[in-house]
Amino acid sequence: MDQFIQLTVDALTLGSVYALIALGYTLVYGVLKLLNFAHGDVFMVGSFIGFGVLQVLGGTSDPVVPVWLLIVLITGAAMAGCAGLGVVIERFAYRPLRDAPRIAPLISALGVSFFLSNSMQLLFGATPRNYNTFDLSNGALYLKGLDIGNVRVPLLRIVTILSAFALMVALWFLVNRTRTGKAMRATSYDREAAAMMGIDIDRVIVFTFVLGSALAGAAGVMFALRVPTNVSIGFIAGLKGFTAAVIGGIGSIPGAMAGGLILGFAEAYSQGYISTKWSDLIVFSILIGFMIFRPQGLLGRADIRKV
Amino acid sequence: MSDSTPHGSRVPAEGPAVGQDEWVARHAERRLMRGGVLGSVEERLRRVPWWAWLVLFVAAFSLLPVFEGSGYVRRVAFDTVLYMLLALGLNVVVGWGGLLDLGYVAFYGIGAYAYALLDSDKFGVHLPSLVAVPLIVVIGAVAGLLLGLPSRRLSGDYLAIVTLFFLQLFQTITTNGDSMFGHNVTGGPNGILNVDPFHLFGHDLAVQHGGVFAVSYLYVALGFFVVVFVALRFVNHSRTGRAWRSLREDPLAAEAMGMPVNWLKLMSFSFGAAVAAFTGTIYAALAASVFPLTFYFVLLITVYTMVILGGSGSQAGVVAGALIVSPLLEMLRDGSKSRVIFFVILVAALALAALRSRTLAIVALATIAFGFVVHAVCGAIDSSWIAGEHGGGFAGFTDHWVVAPEHLARWIAPVSYIGVICATLLVTVARGRLRLVLLVPTIYLAAFVWENVMLAKPEPTRFIVLGLILIALMILRPNGLLGERRVEII
Amino acid sequence: MALLELRGVSLAFGGLQVVHELDLHVDEGEIVSVIGPNGAGKTTLFNLITGIYRPHAGDILLDGRSIVGLQPHEISRRGISRTFQTLRLFLNMSVKENVMAAAYGHTKAGVFRSMLRTPGMRREERAIEELASQRLAFFGKRLMGYRWDQPAYSLSYANRRRLEIARATATNPRLLLLDEPAAGMNPAETHEITELIGELRAEGGYTILVIEHDMHVVEGISDRVVALDHGVKIAEGSFERVATDEKVVEAYLGLNTMSQK
Repeated sequence: MDQFIQLTVDALTLGSVYALIALGYTLVYGVLKLLNFAHGDVFMVGSFIGFGVLQVLGGTSDPVVPVWLLIVLITGAAMAGCAGLGVVIERFAYRPLRDAPRIAPLISALGVSFFLSNSMQLLFGATPRNYNTFDLSNGALYLKGLDIGNVRVPLLRIVTILSAFALMVALWFLVNRTRTGKAMRATSYDREAAAMMGIDIDRVIVFTFVLGSALAGAAGVMFALRVPTNVSIGFIAGLKGFTAAVIGGIGSIPGAMAGGLILGFAEAYSQGYISTKWSDLIVFSILIGFMIFRPQGLLGRADIRKV
Repeated sequence: MSDSTPHGSRVPAEGPAVGQDEWVARHAERRLMRGGVLGSVEERLRRVPWWAWLVLFVAAFSLLPVFEGSGYVRRVAFDTVLYMLLALGLNVVVGWGGLLDLGYVAFYGIGAYAYALLDSDKFGVHLPSLVAVPLIVVIGAVAGLLLGLPSRRLSGDYLAIVTLFFLQLFQTITTNGDSMFGHNVTGGPNGILNVDPFHLFGHDLAVQHGGVFAVSYLYVALGFFVVVFVALRFVNHSRTGRAWRSLREDPLAAEAMGMPVNWLKLMSFSFGAAVAAFTGTIYAALAASVFPLTFYFVLLITVYTMVILGGSGSQAGVVAGALIVSPLLEMLRDGSKSRVIFFVILVAALALAALRSRTLAIVALATIAFGFVVHAVCGAIDSSWIAGEHGGGFAGFTDHWVVAPEHLARWIAPVSYIGVICATLLVTVARGRLRLVLLVPTIYLAAFVWENVMLAKPEPTRFIVLGLILIALMILRPNGLLGERRVEII
Repeated sequence: MALLELRGVSLAFGGLQVVHELDLHVDEGEIVSVIGPNGAGKTTLFNLITGIYRPHAGDILLDGRSIVGLQPHEISRRGISRTFQTLRLFLNMSVKENVMAAAYGHTKAGVFRSMLRTPGMRREERAIEELASQRLAFFGKRLMGYRWDQPAYSLSYANRRRLEIARATATNPRLLLLDEPAAGMNPAETHEITELIGELRAEGGYTILVIEHDMHVVEGISDRVVALDHGVKIAEGSFERVATDEKVVEAYLGLNTMSQK
């Protein structure tokens, strides 16, 4: 039972991170019909920005601001930095290809991904960066927490999961209850028609990238708070992120959230109950199964085209 | 514009009307006249049959070991031939079938691993090469079919994901294959060692002679190359090739005209996989070992860059792409060679720009002047700022141009790198005079970054160059060097 | 027995009934026109016959055998070919190649024979070229000579329409579906097309089903006319009968038009 609780907590944490990454994919795909392969590397950059700001603010052993503020600041910095990065990528690598055949921005995205991960390696080397979160307030984030059964759920985990959910809810509100959100949805249905209705497509697309990349940045920090980060995590994170997006139904926001959580659960439980080595295999098999039998995912729309 | 005639009559029998049709018909002549001397040379070259080019090319390659005794150079030549083979295979899938196969190198790995399993001490199986290689080609084709079948109804994006996952799957299985249900099947991260060399006509083809790469493998690889090139060319010039072209143009119309689109896509996928597996065998034989990490994302992007640079859809093109990228990557491993490459390209670009227009000539001169000035100023401020290592030799002239400090403060690398990226982006957005003015410090900063930041770490630098090439290609010239210039009419 | 027969064919997209219990037949050697206002389901009818859509109810029979559920390329090989309302040529391929490509369905040189360039494969290639030349020659001087090697995108609009018809005939069909062959043509070209359709039947022996809006063309070619509106057949018969049918006039011009005469 204890293992179950532990694994469930792991699943929720992992799932929230995946969900945040998946949201970025789904938002961009919805609006541009582009799979942004560089997204995983934006996530990675986010974790590094968080690390950088953390060092500037004194590091975990001697922070100059209270702990809660520290975490808010590094998350905020990562989100802002990644948002900026996302805007730059869109503007220079994708926008010129807006009307090119679909394969062009995909390949450009591969190039960007390669460029990002290798640039980070050039500048910061391949050594992992550890936030050393345990040092914060003498381990308070880990030692204090909620007790469920015999398992102590660390405060850090709780905060991570809750903030991830808060971000997702905020995003949902933004997309469904604001004018900008409506513009985003219109653009995702029919870009040309939306443009003709007076929607500034470029703005909407930039805004989408800002949102998606910011979420990836937040996810990067959440990830690195638990596990040391390095320059190579982008690829796998990206893969898993869009597995989640596709399982949930690419283009659907609740779908991305659901997909992320499902993926988190699948990975955590298979790692715990079956084996760590083969959990990846199981996860990917789930994806392939979905792609073959239900390509529109759980909540996505099936594509209808007029001949 | 239409060739209509008065109502009720038909086109006169004497031939096309003067004007529009004539102009169109004289297209070839005009091309000739436009080019002048170059044009007539181009025309004559155009008439050389394709196989003559192939023979010339292979002959030139074959003569390389005569002029170059270094085992290292011969080995690079061999690797280049392997890349050419991989590029040819990928060209079938991406260029002819129009499918974005991101799992392509997994088939390369399947071929290599299959050879390693069938011809090594791993399981004690030692199939004769003449049996193993064709068998593995078939295995590759079947693997391609197996992956392609469930994916055939998937659109471009989805197919890309599924194939990428297949690549990841291959990686996972080979890395964790040392404990599959208690058996060590793939050797895990340590791979499979002591793979047999090729065995032809009763002789083992040694992979090394006294520690040096055996040239015979270069010739075997060239042989593979010729076979694949010719076979694929013949397939492309048949009804299958026409059908592939049709389905690239308009799959719905192709289907309506009797062409089985899904099956054709499957064919191209399978062919590509077969070629990759074929290439895998010779790789495994020469390397005498296989490891999982060889067949991963980095190799995938490398082969894609070759195909896109050369021009997807054109066999000659992708071969050219491999011919450019492979040695380039190799040379970028070495700091001094990389420096030379950069400055050669820089000087060539400046010279070409200067020849094309007066304004660009001024920019070129300004950049050169700017550099000398900055260098002198830095030297005056603090001599250790320019006392760093330089390449010497050809790049010796850069000693007085690029600033190379003796000790580089840690913050300089990221700041200058990001600085040059921002500067480049600004240059693309700026217009007119501002753009030209910005160009000067940007070029200089780029040289600085190259010299001081990127050369220090050749490994990521090589791949940064690849990534940049890909992005630039898609934006500026998606059809690459020799790819078909396609007209898309909405 | 009719060459083509539709029995009670229905198709709906979600809640929208596009075709409703349609009965239609085309006898061998006939030229039948399908008319109707936009959105009547005419192109959908073609898409149903050629297998792009699958009917939810009813059956489609070619020579008495059902073709429902077959892939479009299989239906093409059974003998049905078509042109498209919005022109779907292989634009970057040459004129001749466009036509040669369509011969795929009735040729059989496989990849291995192509790789080895067997004499059989080369013979077949020559035959395909010959076929393409013949089909293109049908249009007189318009698509002949130097035009063969030009990319399809360089053709004028009218020539592109002709090329698409030539391509369609290269599949050796028995039934030809022409979707608005005269669309966008000036009167002279329209007249030429009208004559051409007649020649297609007379010289080529094709059975033809045509969608057309231009009533001059319809009048000039049809043995029989079928009128559709909102996916339902509202009239059938000779041109005179259908053109003056109440329901047809209403569909095109609105209610109460007849009573205002």
